[in-house]
Amino acid sequence: MRIKSVKWWTYHILVGGFAVLMLYPVIWLLMSSFKESNAIFVTAKSLIPDPFILDNFAEGWKGIGGNSFGVFIKNTAVLVIVTLIGQVISSSLIAFGFARLEFKGKALWFGLMMVTLMLPYEVVMVPQYIIFSKLGWLNSIKPIAIPAYFGHPFFIFLLVQFIRTIPRELDEAATIDGCNTFNIFYKIILPLIKPALATAAIFSFYWTWDSLLGPVLYLNSPAKYTVSMALNMFLSNETVSNWGAMFAMSVVTLVPVFVIFFIFQRYVVEGISTSGLKG
Amino acid sequence: MKKFMVMLFSLILVFSLAACSGSSTTSKSESDGKEKAASKNEKVTLRIAWWGSQPRHDYTLKIIDMYEKQNPNVKIEAEYASWDDYWKKLAPQAAANQLPDIIQMDLSYFSQYAENNQIADLTPYLDKQIDTKDTNQNIIDGGKLGDKLYGLNAGVNVLGYHYDPALLKKAGVESLDENWTWDDYKELAKKAKAAGLFVDTGVKADVFFNYYLRTQGKSLYSKDGTGLGYKDDKLFVDFFKMTSGLVKDKAVPTPDYMAQVKGIEDDPVVKQKAIGIWQWSNQFVGLQQVANRPLNISNMPGPDSDKGLFLKPSMFWSMASNSEHKVEAAKFINFLTNDIEANKLALGDRGVPGSAAVKEALKPLLSPAQQQVFTYVEWAEKHSSAFNGPDPIGAGEVIELFDSLNEQMSYGNLKVEDAAKQFRQQAESVLAQNKK
Amino acid sequence: MATRVVKEHVQESIYIAPVSARKRAIKENIKGYLFISPFVVGFFAFTLIPILVSLYLSFTKYNLFSAPQWIGLENYKKMFTADPRYWQSLKVTLIYVFAGVPLRLAFALLIAAILNTASRAVGLYRSLFYLPSLIGGSVAVAIMWRNIFGDKGIINLLLELLGIPSVRWFGDPTAALWMLIFLSVWQFGSSMLIFLAGLKGIPKSYYEAASVDGANGWHKFIKITLPMLSPVILFNAVMQTIGAFMTFVPAFIISKGTGGPLDGTLLYSLYLFLQGFEFFNMGYAAAMAWIMLIIVGVLTAIIFATSKYWVHYESEGGK
Repeated sequence: MRIKSVKWWTYHILVGGFAVLMLYPVIWLLMSSFKESNAIFVTAKSLIPDPFILDNFAEGWKGIGGNSFGVFIKNTAVLVIVTLIGQVISSSLIAFGFARLEFKGKALWFGLMMVTLMLPYEVVMVPQYIIFSKLGWLNSIKPIAIPAYFGHPFFIFLLVQFIRTIPRELDEAATIDGCNTFNIFYKIILPLIKPALATAAIFSFYWTWDSLLGPVLYLNSPAKYTVSMALNMFLSNETVSNWGAMFAMSVVTLVPVFVIFFIFQRYVVEGISTSGLKG
Repeated sequence: MKKFMVMLFSLILVFSLAACSGSSTTSKSESDGKEKAASKNEKVTLRIAWWGSQPRHDYTLKIIDMYEKQNPNVKIEAEYASWDDYWKKLAPQAAANQLPDIIQMDLSYFSQYAENNQIADLTPYLDKQIDTKDTNQNIIDGGKLGDKLYGLNAGVNVLGYHYDPALLKKAGVESLDENWTWDDYKELAKKAKAAGLFVDTGVKADVFFNYYLRTQGKSLYSKDGTGLGYKDDKLFVDFFKMTSGLVKDKAVPTPDYMAQVKGIEDDPVVKQKAIGIWQWSNQFVGLQQVANRPLNISNMPGPDSDKGLFLKPSMFWSMASNSEHKVEAAKFINFLTNDIEANKLALGDRGVPGSAAVKEALKPLLSPAQQQVFTYVEWAEKHSSAFNGPDPIGAGEVIELFDSLNEQMSYGNLKVEDAAKQFRQQAESVLAQNKK
Repeated sequence: MATRVVKEHVQESIYIAPVSARKRAIKENIKGYLFISPFVVGFFAFTLIPILVSLYLSFTKYNLFSAPQWIGLENYKKMFTADPRYWQSLKVTLIYVFAGVPLRLAFALLIAAILNTASRAVGLYRSLFYLPSLIGGSVAVAIMWRNIFGDKGIINLLLELLGIPSVRWFGDPTAALWMLIFLSVWQFGSSMLIFLAGLKGIPKSYYEAASVDGANGWHKFIKITLPMLSPVILFNAVMQTIGAFMTFVPAFIISKGTGGPLDGTLLYSLYLFLQGFEFFNMGYAAAMAWIMLIIVGVLTAIIFATSKYWVHYESEGGK
């Protein structure tokens, strides 16, 4: 029978306590979704819904304009998966190029990449919109999904930094063993940056899931809307906003994100013990 | 090898785009040319966009269904979104000449879109596809800029004081007379404070100051939109000394108190902390529904409230200049505003309909609160003067500036006299950019 | 015999060397470009023209609808000499960045280090701390935040319990800005995740060796964790700085699009958006964007330049 040490208790009380504090707003959100819509802000201080109702979920699920909320979730899921695959694969290829290979103009291209990261979206938004309009990609997810296959500077930079932590001796050993460059990428580096790849996947997932500006610009038919746009439609500045439905659906849409995170974070955590290789 | 081909292809693509982006501003004129109505068998697809929330989306979609059944060769694609998202979408669409055929338009953006020819002149369609015989000319003119009609009034709005008669009595006032004045208002404020209530929740600076100026025969913006419409800063000082004084006396809540109001359900009137609120007639029904008790509408205080009051279009239906089916679009705009069955579904959600025929047809279907609004607007039609027209370009900045000064005056950070001078200086520099 | 063979071989290889070196260099170039080609193609296709167009627009008066009119440096002049709101937004944003980013990183690193153990509960804690970030910059979050910081909200309640007078978060420009900063710090989960990934990459053998040498927890942190983590710290520092400069949605929702009270929450991106999409001064907005790019670029360059002194890359022989 193991008696938990004082250290164990202190750890869990401090960390756990802090976690609860941090989560208060989220808990508030969750509890509010069970309250009557008009009562949410009136009873804001009390976390306990009284009466406890599930109506918000039913109503929120009905969606907007005849599109059930399931439609919006499906749209968002498709967009997210397509984008995620594109971003992670292309960014890792590109990052390998920057981190491991030498070529003329590398510094220039790396600099350009950082520059694209720093330019606020609002400004390239309109010219890009015109380009996509001429390509006939309006009212579809193409303008968001297709560029994802050309790398995303954030992930490229992230992966570059991670690849640089891997000793080159590994590459050299692999070359001696007869690996060509692509094999080094695929067989050596890629497995070693699993934590970073998992991190990138998580970020890509929820950034795209939560993204608003892209969908607002490029999706015209409400049947194609994503979750974030749909949530906004519960609000109104002319009449009463349907807070209950909005919070309820916010909670519902949080679930997939949380699940994905939970699954992938194991890869972030486990990584691969490199003590054997690095020692 | 494949990668090089892709690169080459994109380079070609990119250069050809650069070449044809120059023509984007000229393609608009092509669709202004002659166009006849689609024959019965020709299929036409129209795009329509509006902002709103669920109830509006639902009934508008039903109206669309109704029209499609009556006009089987017309297919209407609906694009709707929340207020914020709507304007974010519209601007790039305009830049790319991709505006939907029919657009719900708001006064605050009206001039921008109109003066830049993004929305079309509806005058050629009046009394042909668009019926105006039952509608007061003042109401139609609300969509005019210069001598072109850029939008059809989708519903009328009038300013007023919406209040709780029970709370009014609590403050010791029996009722509000049609001819009440600003002095009566100040009296009311004192009594409200004594009874532990707010008299109202503050005023939107540009809207209500404009009303005040109109009662004095002036206006906020000059007729050509290149400057302010009043020369004497004393008018500014008088009005805002009154409003900021009320905040100081705690008869009106402070701006940060109001900043925390999340929505109607949180409004001080609903919570019985304030007697009334200054707002537009189409906001009455929502307020009353949430407050769930009888509320009244009173007209604006005088003197000269007749000169001050105006019929504001709550929103417009406009037609995109790049529309390829203008005649069909005009027909649908007419349906939206004049068709009785369609309006029975809308029940004045977009404002009180302009057409007298529609108003009559709707009356039996209205709830008591909606009745109050219709009655008030009808009364106002006879007790108001011509609307000044849409805000000039640059009004957005002027309003932001005004709100900020109002905030500072309310906090007591800025003297009203100084605010008057600052406002004049900054507003005029913004509006001066409109000088051609 | 053998020496002659060797000499021939050596002569051969010396003879071949120059040609193959060049060939190898070209081959390296091709390989490099092949790997980064998606970025290059995407750049030419989707990014280059918009960037150039936005630069051009910054020298024009452009309202999105009619053709831009060239006005040279007018926008830039106005920004720096005739627009007090611009300086206000710059000031507000700099405070936001320089207060928020270090706080965020510190929390992220601290919690990541604490959670870098193998206990079973850790997985759960990790997810819980990450949850605020997952909710992201959504409208629900901002509304929730406004509620918590209301005059009678939970934060003021807590302050009163601790004997501190309640703060008018919405009434005071500085307090309102701190509301935004707290929101950003609250979402430290994303940085934390990256630190965790980095921590996992530090071989346990290093720590074991240090323990054998008698190092305690604090020493291990300073001498092993921080240096090994430094490339990741660099990454986070740069990304957080850039991200902080571009923050828009929280400011927009919390201030209801006004940047209030009294422009206390008028973050640079918000002001840019207002100028571009509310006032339709797209040319001015473009100019603002380019100045932001320069500022962020300079900051990033500084961070990178100083990185020589504190960042240690295992793969490049380190220090």
